[in-house]
Amino acid sequence: MNEILSLFDTQLFTTTIDFSTPIVLAAIGGVLCERGGIVNIGLEGFMNFSAFFAVVGTIATGNPWIGLVSGVIAGMIFSLIHGFATIHLHLDHVVSGAVINILSAGLTQYLLLIIYHTAGQTASVPLSLHDMKYAIPILSSIPYVGEIFFNQTPIVYIMMISVVIFTIFLNRTKLGLHLKVSGEHPMALETLGISVFKMRYLGVILSGLLCGLAGSYLSIETGSSYSENMTSGRGFIALAAVIAGRWSPIGALVASVVFGFINALQYKLQIIPALKFFPTEIFSALPYILSILAIAFAVKKSRPPKASGEDFIVERID
Amino acid sequence: MKNLTTFLINLLSAIIITLGVILYLSSHFIGLPMLIVGIGFIYLIQYKNNKKKAIQSLKSLGKALFIPFIGLVVSLIIVSIILISTGYNPLMTLKTLIYGGFIKSWHSTVLNATPLIFTGLAIGFAFNAGLFNIGAQGQYYVGTAVATAIGIYLPMPSIILIVIAYVVSMLLSASYNIIPAYLKIKTGAHEVITTMMFAQIASSLSGWWVNLMGGEDPVHKYKTDKISTDAWLMKLKDLVPLDHINYRLNVGILVAILTAFVCYFILYKTTLGFKIRAVGHNKDGAKAQGIKVNKIIFVTLLISGALAGMSGVTQVLGLEHRMTYDLSSSYGWDGISVALLASGNPIGIIFSAFLWGGIDSGGQYLERVTDIHKSIVEIMKGLILFFVVARYIYLYINTKFGITKKLFKNISHSHTP
Amino acid sequence: MTTFLKLEKITKKFSKIVANKDVTIEVKKGEIIGLLGENGAGKSTLMNVLFGLYKPTSGRVLINDKPVKFSSPKDAKSAGLSMIHQHFMLVDNMSVTENIILGQEPNKMGFINYKEAREKVIALSHKYNLEIDPDAKIEDIAVGVQQRVEILKALFRDTKLLIMDEPTAVLTPQEVIHLFEVVRKLRADGMSVIIITHKLDEASEISDRIYILRNGELVDSCNACDVDSQMLATMMVGRDIIFKTDKKPRKETGIKSFKLQDLSYKKMDGTYAIKNLNLEIEAGEIYGIAGVDGNGQKELAEVVRGMVKEESGEIIFNEKVINKYTTLERMQNHMGYIPADRLKFGLIPAYDMASNLIIGEQDEKKYTKKTNPVWRRIVDVLDNILGEYNPVRGLSIINKKAVIENAKEVIKKYDIRPNDHTAIAGYLSGGNQQKVVVGREIERKPEFILIVQPTWGVDVGAIERIHEQILAMRDCGVCILLISLELEEIFTLSDKIAVLYEGKIVLEKPAHLTNKNEVGLYMTGGSN
Repeated sequence: MNEILSLFDTQLFTTTIDFSTPIVLAAIGGVLCERGGIVNIGLEGFMNFSAFFAVVGTIATGNPWIGLVSGVIAGMIFSLIHGFATIHLHLDHVVSGAVINILSAGLTQYLLLIIYHTAGQTASVPLSLHDMKYAIPILSSIPYVGEIFFNQTPIVYIMMISVVIFTIFLNRTKLGLHLKVSGEHPMALETLGISVFKMRYLGVILSGLLCGLAGSYLSIETGSSYSENMTSGRGFIALAAVIAGRWSPIGALVASVVFGFINALQYKLQIIPALKFFPTEIFSALPYILSILAIAFAVKKSRPPKASGEDFIVERID
Repeated sequence: MKNLTTFLINLLSAIIITLGVILYLSSHFIGLPMLIVGIGFIYLIQYKNNKKKAIQSLKSLGKALFIPFIGLVVSLIIVSIILISTGYNPLMTLKTLIYGGFIKSWHSTVLNATPLIFTGLAIGFAFNAGLFNIGAQGQYYVGTAVATAIGIYLPMPSIILIVIAYVVSMLLSASYNIIPAYLKIKTGAHEVITTMMFAQIASSLSGWWVNLMGGEDPVHKYKTDKISTDAWLMKLKDLVPLDHINYRLNVGILVAILTAFVCYFILYKTTLGFKIRAVGHNKDGAKAQGIKVNKIIFVTLLISGALAGMSGVTQVLGLEHRMTYDLSSSYGWDGISVALLASGNPIGIIFSAFLWGGIDSGGQYLERVTDIHKSIVEIMKGLILFFVVARYIYLYINTKFGITKKLFKNISHSHTP
Repeated sequence: MTTFLKLEKITKKFSKIVANKDVTIEVKKGEIIGLLGENGAGKSTLMNVLFGLYKPTSGRVLINDKPVKFSSPKDAKSAGLSMIHQHFMLVDNMSVTENIILGQEPNKMGFINYKEAREKVIALSHKYNLEIDPDAKIEDIAVGVQQRVEILKALFRDTKLLIMDEPTAVLTPQEVIHLFEVVRKLRADGMSVIIITHKLDEASEISDRIYILRNGELVDSCNACDVDSQMLATMMVGRDIIFKTDKKPRKETGIKSFKLQDLSYKKMDGTYAIKNLNLEIEAGEIYGIAGVDGNGQKELAEVVRGMVKEESGEIIFNEKVINKYTTLERMQNHMGYIPADRLKFGLIPAYDMASNLIIGEQDEKKYTKKTNPVWRRIVDVLDNILGEYNPVRGLSIINKKAVIENAKEVIKKYDIRPNDHTAIAGYLSGGNQQKVVVGREIERKPEFILIVQPTWGVDVGAIERIHEQILAMRDCGVCILLISLELEEIFTLSDKIAVLYEGKIVLEKPAHLTNKNEVGLYMTGGSN
């Protein structure tokens, strides 16, 4: 019994946040993208790409903040490929996303070689965002909670703020309303003289931005270097969180934190002697099994944006 | 009399083609002209019987190959620009790459292509029903895992053992898709996410399986024991009485090509294929016209899983003779590219698999003889894929800049789901 | 009155096709214009030119006598043009207020002031006597109310010229009267209105002037009070049209061949789309179901076809309960279906005509090659084990020759053009697509046929022929369930008329004992 209780220490929850942060960010990116009408299975690719560039920026300047900015910008630029392919080239969104993931892996592999002349992994960054850990005065001294939420690294704070910002953005602002309409009934927007293309690009670029943060988090906040395949399926878990969270930032947050928690828990469980009998691999498969369950139960009740994944064509012939 | 001559010529051509294919695949390049001559004969007979149809089929073939060709050229140009900007001679590099992939290391191209044809077929077959089995990698793992277990533990005479290995692996890798298929039907959960998750689960568990199958062996850690030689597929050098055949080449490639033709036959000549494609084109219409859409989706995903499983079995029985704990193995992912390049056409998949296999082995050759790293081919593959799949780009350029109007007028949206 | 808008000699060519030729239209301030024309007469091209989606090949657009160049709908909007499309541009899961304010949101720094918005919307709705609930979601309100939302949406953004595309298509006669009152009020306020329609009576009733388009050219313009609908029809189609289809009196057969008993169907969200529905159709009878769109028509069709499962109740056909029959089994029992949306439910657009003419029958003996007996044994054994999910069950080889022969026959008999069985169905014209569907269904010798909106998107000239075919089927003793949103069609064809309202049949009478007004009243639930 004590053994079980001892599982639930602060460390478990900080690890949970550790695991959840990139998933929350990517999932909100996915939410915004899909609310705008573009299905995005390229989250994984965006994250991978920006994780690499965050390291490039940091190593080049020695400043992880510049690294963060370069990671985010890389994510946004890369997301434009997906935007262009789906919006202007009318490519199927899922196909484009799959191509994005393949392209991302190939490009980073090559650039790794061109820039650092190594394969597989970069050198460590001299200074990472983890060293920028900041305890918010007063709040961080609240027992238990303070340690978990208010003594954190920068991107974790950014993550918490972005949940709030994007919830307000979607529900209270003009731009948010237009974005939602472009994912529900794009023609209604276009006939009012508001460009659906622009709104959809907005959604895609925002997802690029958020995946940029998520990728940078992996490479220069929890980690200190970039290695191939370091996103290891997180983009897909984020996709599951988008669905389980019913296409809202708060929902995405909740779903991602649950995934993060299970993941943190499974690491803890692996150490328990009583469970040694099970191979560790079964535990590492747990988060994925959970995502499938989440989808299985969430999907039927949730309603995706109506026009999400649909091609939008305005006949414009001169 | 006339019928008899036609039959004989057809038979002769078929024999020539078969021999040509086998020779060509065993790196005897005399096979290529034989193949061409054989196909030429058959086409001539077609032409004599029905001129209009023969010309039309040639035209439509040209039309189908047009975009991939343009895509290839455009991406090669861009790769050249990248090479120049990083200080290499593009002509030399591409020459070396092609020489390596399609002449010098042809045998390794053939070996690369074998699993890719299967995984490409797995994904491409599902395309035809409007499904995207993005997690073929997972079913591939199941195929290898089962084949390894059977190969190690089941004492049986050779042929029976191989048949059992194939059948059981295919069944189990097909069942690996049951839950995604069920969820798709019952809740509408998108197969992209569910099959992907299942692939991740399989890749997590594969390490455990390797341990279980003797991976604790300190010499061969991360590798299972070898399967019994009874389960090995026949080597091409035993099949063809000629010299200079790479010892690793096996009949797996022939199985792969044959499977592609079977898939083509099922899709285009049978009622099952008729229904599968109807579902892919218009789900609601198919349902209203009495086709059991859910059943078709279910069956298609299972067939797709079985095809991906075949890839694993063939790889274990034919080439590796054991399972390796190797997370970078990517036949499932590359299969996506292969299937997309051929927009799901089984015959096209054979060629795109050889293209991909050739680029890979060419890259390895390139790395051996020059100082260029093989990862240049990753970029090349990405670009080719983009410029073939995003076929609308040519129409876009055309309407934007108004060039080559006639050339591109037949391009419509891509036909993949 | 001053001229507000003038389209001057508009010509629009698409490579070789001339969509509009020298069309000149003048709209004065405070005037209602009727724009008449068949499908493909060039009405929508003209509107797209007006809204800046197409650039005219020649000609110009003048507003208040000043030439303007619109390059996008945005420019047209800011000049005071608004359009209400036939398919409403409303977002289903958003509130009435959100839909009305979209694009003109009262806001501070980009944050929407919902309170102000709501008040504005309420004030506007009171001003024009357009009753709405500002907080209701669009998916929860009736089609007639949705149209009010569309009108409010236009009024919200300071419209000087309102264009309405087929505004009465979805309304009951009573709602049409109300709509016309509103439109007249708008005119009194100095607004100009263009009504695009193919309903001739209505055009002459509401319009001050009428323009008629045919084959992209302006045929005529006239003052509404000078013409009657027969003249309009002749001008629109270019030949005399007989409106009254020849309908012979029905032969009473007395055989109740199709019955629905207490049929209920529950939607995904848990609400009932059809509730305790009862009906009986005799062989050789046309049972017409009228109703406003969204009252369960779609669901009723899907349940009868077997595409979705009913919640409770019985479907009885030829004295057999067929609830458990799959769509295919219903087809095999000679139950036909002519859907409203041909491209979605009737055809596989990417397939050629030959395949489309056999779809559903692909597994039948006549279209498959004989299989090897050994192979058939294997299939049978697998069938026993796997049942439905036996993948090899469908592995019979298609007999291409038989498929093509069938196609050639049907194409010839129903005069489908082009006369080429390899033509892709999606590329055929709307009328020919309908011929493929109708021909296929008639050739399967139906005993019962479900027909939904058979003339949807079909030219006026072709409507006659389709109606004749339906009546011919009736005279052969086919039992016909007709679901249509067009009251005209229901009255032309039906022997018995029923009204579907909120999933229930609220009125059922022999056709000669009722009239459009009564039916219209019931269509909005007005009887209670």
